[in-house]
Amino acid sequence: MKLKIGVHGLTSCYGCQLRMASVKNVLEIAKNFNIEYWYMMSSKGEIKHVDVAFVEGSVSTKEDEEELKLIRENADILVAMGSCAIYGGVQGMLYGMEYEKAFLEVYGNNTIELEGKIGEPISKYVKVDYKLPGCPPEEDELLYYLACFLLGSYPEEKDYPVCAECRRNGYPCLLIEKNEPCLGALTTAGCKARCIKFGIPCIGCRGPLEEIAWYDSLANVFKEKGMEKEIIKARMEIFGKQYENMDEMVEKVFK
Amino acid sequence: MKIEREIKVDHLARIEGKAGVIVEIGKDIKAKIKVTEGPRFFELITKGKKYDDAVAICPRICSFCSIPHKLTPIEAVENALGIETSEQTKLLRNILYFANMVESHALHLYLFAIPDYLGYPDAFSMAKEHLELVKNGLELKDFGVKVQSIIGSREIHPENAIVGGFGKIPSKNEMEKVKEMAKEVIKRAVATVDFFAEYEYPSYIDYERNHLLIKPYDGYGVYGNEIVASDGFSFNVSYYKENIKEEVVPYSFAKRGKYKDKPFMVGAISRLTNNHALLDGEAKELLNNYREFLNPSNCFANNFAQAIEMVYFIEKIAELAENYEGKDESKAKAEKKSGRGYAVTEAPRGLLIYEVEIENEIVKYMNVITPTAMFLPMMEVDVVNMAKGMWENGYKDIDLIGKKVEMVIRAYDPCISCSVHVIKI
Repeated sequence: MKLKIGVHGLTSCYGCQLRMASVKNVLEIAKNFNIEYWYMMSSKGEIKHVDVAFVEGSVSTKEDEEELKLIRENADILVAMGSCAIYGGVQGMLYGMEYEKAFLEVYGNNTIELEGKIGEPISKYVKVDYKLPGCPPEEDELLYYLACFLLGSYPEEKDYPVCAECRRNGYPCLLIEKNEPCLGALTTAGCKARCIKFGIPCIGCRGPLEEIAWYDSLANVFKEKGMEKEIIKARMEIFGKQYENMDEMVEKVFK
Repeated sequence: MKIEREIKVDHLARIEGKAGVIVEIGKDIKAKIKVTEGPRFFELITKGKKYDDAVAICPRICSFCSIPHKLTPIEAVENALGIETSEQTKLLRNILYFANMVESHALHLYLFAIPDYLGYPDAFSMAKEHLELVKNGLELKDFGVKVQSIIGSREIHPENAIVGGFGKIPSKNEMEKVKEMAKEVIKRAVATVDFFAEYEYPSYIDYERNHLLIKPYDGYGVYGNEIVASDGFSFNVSYYKENIKEEVVPYSFAKRGKYKDKPFMVGAISRLTNNHALLDGEAKELLNNYREFLNPSNCFANNFAQAIEMVYFIEKIAELAENYEGKDESKAKAEKKSGRGYAVTEAPRGLLIYEVEIENEIVKYMNVITPTAMFLPMMEVDVVNMAKGMWENGYKDIDLIGKKVEMVIRAYDPCISCSVHVIKI
């Protein structure tokens, strides 16, 4: 019996699913698993029992919430795939703002029958078994997760930051040497510090690394380099707004 | 209106994003494209950010066209701050953009659209009997991915493209490889054109429409600042609000565009209809051979147009890569810290407009108008005409009509994530 998987998209850019669809050997995935549900790719299928469900996107509507609960009820293992599912994604940056206010600013005094909300991580609504980080996830990590499930084993999440990979690759440190606002120290590894290789400071797209994301200490370094609080906060909240105490940690440094 | 029959699809498969369709059949036939993808408020989340952080957020609007959603806001910021980029930057951006065009068209045609033509639920089951055909799509897609990764650092959310230029420019050697790959893959694009030139379009959905597109700076390119309509009118991108009006409907999180109070068309079909004289090389020859397939009034011609475009853009990538010098240069600097800027480009699905206002390097206002938001009303017209045409021609099987309605929607290659980012009123 082949392992049954489902791939689902809530509110997002569909990039995690696109990465899954565009891995070089996507036909191998189709051969080795029974894909019970993947609406972006197939018009067959309904949500029913699967061994593993991959969920991309944040909960941004009432429908997202209901669909997510249905997915959870039908999945033995649920993987939160990508930054939207894990931390609410870039749209999760409005966390703390009232939905009505955001709606008024964008849609004006119009009525839409659908019920929206500010994007939230899926773990607020259901139990998440594994997190597959990235915006979007890396091909090798995606295949590693799939291979683990295929072999009846379990994937190990990375517990070190982008900085560790960057040092190992011997790239010049953009923060220390070039005074760039690099977020590599807070961010979950796995990208092999690709952006830094291209001379671009990390924007934190893979999301904060739990227990290691010391926003206060990095904000302090930025402050010493002469960056203003608002600029630092605005950059850190792009992918970290819904990380526990992120705001407080940054505020503390500027007290 | 008394509804006799109803076609209802809550969640359309094989499109980017989450949308449904309802067709009500009674005395009249009515259609609604329901966009149920949640709101993401990009115009709000980019506000208050430094401009280089803001342009890094924009690609997250949509993964299929994350290159256009990076390069267009970059262009708007450069327009606002008086940044003049080098010729080499322009060349690299063109290659990057063209590679996205090839990838996006290949994904759409092979993974989303062709399964309909051959009667499969998806490309995976289609591959069991048509492996070579599916391989065309995957090779074309891989080509796009590789080129975008070399120049943009990766194909989805390309961080290496920045305001003023690039973090790191590719080596001459890498671009030599790009050229070789382009020469290798082009036959698969030609095969795609041949595939679509086998199918006739249902004539009852012919409907005359206005096409909107840019007047390219060079050739059949994607950059320009003048928007041209097929009724002969044209306007500078800075007048987009006066000419493209948007409305909100109760059943959709996407806003919808009107030009002169009417639905209009954008995308490959619009570009090719108006700009086919700008083609050259093999793409031009192919179009001459199959001229009758470019029917500007029939949305299925969009698939054919995308196939022709793949041939053109692959040829151009090879040409541009050949001219690449790989000069070591630093990124272009801003003349000022504040200003208002506009940009429009031809994304795979059509016109993409950005407006940005920057004050002391901080984004104060950003507005985005996407092709899918523009063509949604036109799509509803075509959906109605498909259902009506079939119904009046004696087809009463609701499932079959439903399938054809879905094909109409897929022909547009809608990008639902794009459509809901929404514009500020």
